Amino acid sequence: MDALIVVFVTGLISMFIAMANKPAYVLITAVVGLSAALVLMINSWFNPAFIHIKYDGLEFDKVAILYSVLAMSFTLLIIVGGYSYFKKEVEHTGEYISLLLFSLVGALCMIAFTDLFMFFLGLEILSIPIYVLAGSKKKNILSSEASLKYFFTGAFATGILLFGTAWVYGATGSFKLNEIALAINDGTAQGPLLSIGVLMMMASFLFKVGAAPFHFWSPDVYGGSPNIVTGYMAAVVKLAGLFAFMKLFTFVFGDLHSLWSGALFGLIILTMFVGNLSALGQTKFKRLLAYSSIANAGYALLAIIVQDFESVWNLWIYLLGYGFAVIALIIISLIVNNEEDDISAYKGIGRKNPLIGIVMILALLSMAGVPPLAGFFGKFMVFSSAFNEYPVLVILAVVNSGIGMFYYLRLLMTAMSKEDNEVVATLKPTIMQYIVLAVCSVALIVGGLITI
Amino acid sequence: MEIYIIPLLFALIAAIAPKNLVKHVGLIGALASLVVTLTQVVTFSPADTVTLFDPNFITSFGLTFKMGYDGMGLFMVLLTNVMIPIILLSNLNRSIANEKSFNSMVMLMQFGLVGVFTAMDGIMFYVFWELTLIPIFLIVLWYGAPERKNILIKFFIYTFVGSLGMLLSLMALGTYAKDFSHESLVAIQLVPKTAFWIMGGFFLAFAIKIPLFPFHTWQPTTYTVAPMAGTMLLSGLMLKMALFGMIRWMIPLAPEAMADFKCIVITLGLIGILYAAIIAIKQSDIKRLFAFASISHVGLIAAGIMLFDKETLSAVFIQIANHSLVAVGLFLAAGILEKRLGTRTLSEMGGVAKLAPKFGFWFAVIAFASVSVPFTSGFIGEFLLLKGLYGYNWMVGLAAGTTLVFGAVYTLRAYQLSMYGAPKMESFKDLTWNELLAFFLITVFILIIGVYPQVVIDFVGPSLDKLFLSMQASNTLIP
Repeated sequence: MDALIVVFVTGLISMFIAMANKPAYVLITAVVGLSAALVLMINSWFNPAFIHIKYDGLEFDKVAILYSVLAMSFTLLIIVGGYSYFKKEVEHTGEYISLLLFSLVGALCMIAFTDLFMFFLGLEILSIPIYVLAGSKKKNILSSEASLKYFFTGAFATGILLFGTAWVYGATGSFKLNEIALAINDGTAQGPLLSIGVLMMMASFLFKVGAAPFHFWSPDVYGGSPNIVTGYMAAVVKLAGLFAFMKLFTFVFGDLHSLWSGALFGLIILTMFVGNLSALGQTKFKRLLAYSSIANAGYALLAIIVQDFESVWNLWIYLLGYGFAVIALIIISLIVNNEEDDISAYKGIGRKNPLIGIVMILALLSMAGVPPLAGFFGKFMVFSSAFNEYPVLVILAVVNSGIGMFYYLRLLMTAMSKEDNEVVATLKPTIMQYIVLAVCSVALIVGGLITI
Repeated sequence: MEIYIIPLLFALIAAIAPKNLVKHVGLIGALASLVVTLTQVVTFSPADTVTLFDPNFITSFGLTFKMGYDGMGLFMVLLTNVMIPIILLSNLNRSIANEKSFNSMVMLMQFGLVGVFTAMDGIMFYVFWELTLIPIFLIVLWYGAPERKNILIKFFIYTFVGSLGMLLSLMALGTYAKDFSHESLVAIQLVPKTAFWIMGGFFLAFAIKIPLFPFHTWQPTTYTVAPMAGTMLLSGLMLKMALFGMIRWMIPLAPEAMADFKCIVITLGLIGILYAAIIAIKQSDIKRLFAFASISHVGLIAAGIMLFDKETLSAVFIQIANHSLVAVGLFLAAGILEKRLGTRTLSEMGGVAKLAPKFGFWFAVIAFASVSVPFTSGFIGEFLLLKGLYGYNWMVGLAAGTTLVFGAVYTLRAYQLSMYGAPKMESFKDLTWNELLAFFLITVFILIIGVYPQVVIDFVGPSLDKLFLSMQASNTLIP
């Protein structure tokens, strides 16, 4: 809880400190505050008694701490790496950074919730700043479209989630996770009331993580939003959504596995194929990233369908590899800063600037699942834990990794090719962006070793 | 540990070294690795099993990090560390040798190859196996022929998908074994049906890398567009990973499927021998010709591996070394012709031997080794392999034996068309010192193995015995 409050207060302060019209102050506030929150969060792992403020609706147990640390680190990297973009409009810098921090508060609530109220609250706190941020390039029609589209479909999905929650409440008589689990376990709650509620909740979760067939919003929203917001959505929002999904469906609705696993089984296959096959023909960088994130959501859902307590850990490794790779790619796209967002704009950047080239190789190969990078170990752990129960899914997932290799490789070849273009000549990464890229690269290289 | 650290260290040094020194950095790094390996060879007795790295510790999903070598592992490491200096040496007078990224990538490749040959853990094997793909991809991407793009994507995806098959098999085995170390994986005994699929996954990876017919379609085009050094690395060392993988991993891990697979692989190998040889005879592009010749030769080796008895496997190791030496020599000759003449087409060559007698001589030596003339390593290797195949089935032996005839036809045809006849060009610069030295070293090794093959047989023999023993010891039957 302490860390959560620190993040929130940091968000507030950075909003008001922006009145000084000095973007650097905002950045310093945000970085200091977020780092303090990170330290608090890590500290509560080692001495749980240190937590002073407690609230029933939120419980930061060890699993929640793990995921929170990841979400907070991602946000920190995104704020630092995106600073050169935020400070372009001095009067809005504070808004960007504080909205990202508020959204992080929502993500933390979604990670640590213990009742469905808190979960819903977290989801909304997470989403509403993103609706605003997605439309923050006000003069750009695609950005406005992204915002509006995300808002409407998101509101609709939230409605379905609430509806589902109401049905579950009707069947179990409680919002508390442990009471719901108990009611399902001892059989007091059963029948269509519960089933419909659970399935509705699953549908809205699949929407949030961008799984097919609820994925249609994501290419437009990812493509239209400012790059840095796209990175935040892919790294943090997806993390929070997937973890909340796992928390509810593995631990609370676990006894109903036979009810929802069939549907999830089919949708995982659909998601993987839709994501990967659609990504093959993309010519825009962020749309490619959007489809690849759909495919990655498909792989990550494997960790949820297996109903295994180790999956918590496997999913964490998976999201670590994915998140750092996405952030690295997004920072590179900020550096390239191509208005059209065409993949051809990336031609030759790796040759022109070998440091960026190395990061790009690491990020893309990690996403594609080439060892010994973090992405490989995440995939390997998720797949191998699912192998016993769902060999068909794993084989299809592996086939999809092969398909996915194609578009990652195409991007890689574009970036590493010898031909130059005029965009490349004007690359001006800031030192902070270099730091972020370095952190991401180190995380991708040593991330696999954390599996120990 | 030094055999891993030195290549990695020199990969870093080469990446930041000044441009005029970089080729020396690469060569020194390769020689340093060779010296270290030689010291290990001297202190090694063939019956030993040396553990290089073992933290005595298992991760949550069964990775043990075990690295080490026995006789055959060290043999392959030695081969790698002998070939890398020769490959760098033969490129020394080309502009590619002055590139930081090229030298760095070759060192990284060496690191990956040594890792593959010394991995004693399934996941480590997979990690190093994939790691070798990245340097070769970048070498071909940066220094390949202009039409390389699509060919390169095909090559990468083909091999990547193949290795995913191996990954699936490893995952499946991991659900039965307590960890991924080699001895735990060998110890489990599978019912033939499961074993069939597990061996199938491994086979997909190795058949694509070798390449066996019908998985060979990436190979001639990739060899053609790759720069000379890339082709040498691909044919001289990377495909040996697959042959070694068959011996160390594929067959010991699922020997129960041998009954089904023996026939399939030998048939495919046989088709490859004949099919590739016939295509090679008709080739007009010298690099493509040698690429098909390579398919034909490795088909025989793969068929020999499936017999899986000690004598044939010893012959396989002789032939692995021979093929590395000969392939590097042939592609060096092809590279010299391509660079000096600006063409790969045989009909535009001719009479080179008159203008460049030294080149004519050394190319002839390599060509004779390729057609397995006695006293060269090719003779011993092919003879023993054919003997093994003849013992398996006389018709197989007879069909495989045609490789000797066809081999002579296409190699000598290539030699004749390029070297003899009236010169079609005004001048041809003869061998430079580094090319001469490379040819000389290759020839020395070919002759040593050709005259005294027992040195190889003694070196790998005890480790093969141990491998057979560990396979018999497996007891628990798992469905």
